[in-house]
Amino acid sequence: MADSKNEALGIIFPNSYDTLVPELVSERAMASIPFASRYRLCDFMISSMVHCGISNISLLVRQNYHSLMDHLGSGREWDLARKKGGLNIFPPYAQKSVKVYNGWIEALESIKGFLETQTEKYVVLTDSNMAINFDFTALIEDHIKSQADVTVVYHKSEIPDSFKGYNTANREFIYNFQIDEENRVTKVNINSKESGIVNLGLNIYVLERNLLINLIDEAYIHGHTYFLRDVISPQVSSLKVHAYNYEGYVAKIFDMKDYFRENMKLLEEENLDALFSGNQIYTKIRDDNPTRYIRGAKAKNVLVADGCVIEGEVENSILFRGVKIGKGAKVKNCILMQDTSVGEGAEVSYVITDKNVKITSGKTLSGNDAYQVFVAKHQTV
Amino acid sequence: MAKEIVAMLLAGGQGSRLYALTQKLAKPAVPFGGKYRIIDFPLSNCVNSGIDTVGILTQYQPFVLNEYIGNGQPWDLDRLYGGVHVLPPYQKASGSDWYKGTANAIYQNISFIEKYDPKYVIILSGDQICKQDYSEFLRFHKEKGAEFSVAVMEVPWEEASRFGLMVTDENDKITEFQEKPKNPKSNLASMGIYIFNWDILKKYLIEDEADPNSENDFGNNIIPNLLRDNRNMYAFRFDGYWKDVGTISSLWEANMEVLDPEHSGINLFDEKWKVYSRNSGLTGHRISGDAVVEDSMITDGCNIMGNVKHSILFSGVTVEPGAEVVDSVVMGKTTIRSGAKVRHAIIAEKVEIGENAVVGECPEDSSDNSNVATIASHVKIGANAVIGPNAMIYDDVEEGGKQ
Repeated sequence: MADSKNEALGIIFPNSYDTLVPELVSERAMASIPFASRYRLCDFMISSMVHCGISNISLLVRQNYHSLMDHLGSGREWDLARKKGGLNIFPPYAQKSVKVYNGWIEALESIKGFLETQTEKYVVLTDSNMAINFDFTALIEDHIKSQADVTVVYHKSEIPDSFKGYNTANREFIYNFQIDEENRVTKVNINSKESGIVNLGLNIYVLERNLLINLIDEAYIHGHTYFLRDVISPQVSSLKVHAYNYEGYVAKIFDMKDYFRENMKLLEEENLDALFSGNQIYTKIRDDNPTRYIRGAKAKNVLVADGCVIEGEVENSILFRGVKIGKGAKVKNCILMQDTSVGEGAEVSYVITDKNVKITSGKTLSGNDAYQVFVAKHQTV
Repeated sequence: MAKEIVAMLLAGGQGSRLYALTQKLAKPAVPFGGKYRIIDFPLSNCVNSGIDTVGILTQYQPFVLNEYIGNGQPWDLDRLYGGVHVLPPYQKASGSDWYKGTANAIYQNISFIEKYDPKYVIILSGDQICKQDYSEFLRFHKEKGAEFSVAVMEVPWEEASRFGLMVTDENDKITEFQEKPKNPKSNLASMGIYIFNWDILKKYLIEDEADPNSENDFGNNIIPNLLRDNRNMYAFRFDGYWKDVGTISSLWEANMEVLDPEHSGINLFDEKWKVYSRNSGLTGHRISGDAVVEDSMITDGCNIMGNVKHSILFSGVTVEPGAEVVDSVVMGKTTIRSGAKVRHAIIAEKVEIGENAVVGECPEDSSDNSNVATIASHVKIGANAVIGPNAMIYDDVEEGGKQ
């Protein structure tokens, strides 16, 4: 737990990169996308913070946040139902002159009053499009040691495919950093298309709360929108921006392909261990019974949550809570979200089903390694 | 504000016939059915029946149970008024007493019940696997204008003499009580679940306490006294699944019945009558490419690389490649090392079965519930050790050892 003098409050942006996974966010935010058989993406960041003594956590939602609110409730399952601090969900502040925010600046400006009255010295800011078991205590300690104004987190990685090539649909931003031998950021590259390994920004930041308030005020007056593009990037010479290298496991979701691949990667034990062997990731409890494999069921290389009933065959797949697979059905290379049911004799491969999808008996549905068939929430095939 | 009904759950039983499984925990805390503990059943029944005030009477090895119950939140029993309360025996100005019997346990907590000023009190037992709607039972009690009702099960006549029996008239009114009689006059066995009008119960508890010769027991003292006074007593017939899991063989059998809800009648997959428990919070279970899982129940956090057949695995169990688990109950966080064989056994929590060790043996008839090998929690069985059928292992067994 962080030293009391090093206390931080957490701010999470649940709608980050929503536009890159339109199928998955038609009725939800990035933060509430189901991942790894029983979690939602926000569970990873929130649990990481809680384990590091950050117990004052705010989510600044922009749109489609009903499923997120349903998931988080009072925050009790993350130990965040607190008298002091705890979980706050800030919906967009409806005001005649204010539209739904675009970038972090507007969102943070709208909660300035809240930020001013808090007592924590530091603020950590993060996106929610990744599954990660992150050590914020180490980050804050490194930030203090470096005597930097702002610390940005990066990891060594290629630029994601969805930011490469010509893609008019992509109006999101991704950053990578040029850093000197003392880990100071000398330049921020925005939407760079360079190939090979770069210092890819993970959109996790720490800075002092007072500095954040000042930076936001200044930026808002000038009509700026984006925190890194408009505030940090132009000031890398006047502000001391320190880079923190994260070397652990992270599953980043920048498009549907990432979503499929990052889920499937967890079928390998080493990846599953890398993501989950640290602190426990909390999530909403559903009180499902254990999963039942009925006589005749076959399961190979699968990750399965509680509450499933399996009578058919399932291979290389991720099954969320409450999935039913009927007699003689064959499920291969699929991600089946909560309460999907696959009827008797149906065959599905390379399919992603959203919640409560029903594949009726005898149907065949298949995608391939490069392109998976997606079935939207509550649909019957 | 008065509560209509308060539940008092007797959870003090030592469960001595579960031997190695109840060395460090009380019988109601014994794990069951993949992710539950026995006490989850009566607690879930309470909340599903609309009873929101429950006193749990503990006495023997209460630590695991106390921690497990906590503030009652997993059962939705964390209430501003009411909720779940663990009631151990406590020190009084005039000295302290262990609970001398089931009736004395309630007697010592009269002030707890009075606080809620209930009209009825339901007495529950913490060692049965049963899904029962207590609100139906209460409706029966009210309709009959009863002062005392007991839930009963019809049992086969040839087994009736093993039970406490209620002899009733055509209106289910109890006329006689026979405790394990040689010549049964009835086949309605008491399930040990009672509803009392609180004023009546209180009166008889005080009277019973004043009798120095009393065993302070519901079955032996309170019920006979009610009968003596011709109280309005009725028997409520229950015909669902009910099992006392007080022995190794009945516990093993009940777990195996969970695997076959179509025939056994114990269905944990009932959305309308969920059984709540404190969840492990582990990630989904993993089944590797070489594993074989047949006719089994697997819980979150398991990692299955070997063969699992007709077994129940609790959360966080690891079965290494080449290991085999058949007809067994394996409790939380136990590891079965590669090549080990576990058959017809109950393995408690956090046990390690060494490489190529053999535990238990399948009987010729797979439904035979005798000779179940049992291993206590935290025990290490060394590599190549052989644990015979019907063994009861309390301590570590060294490499190559035989028991």
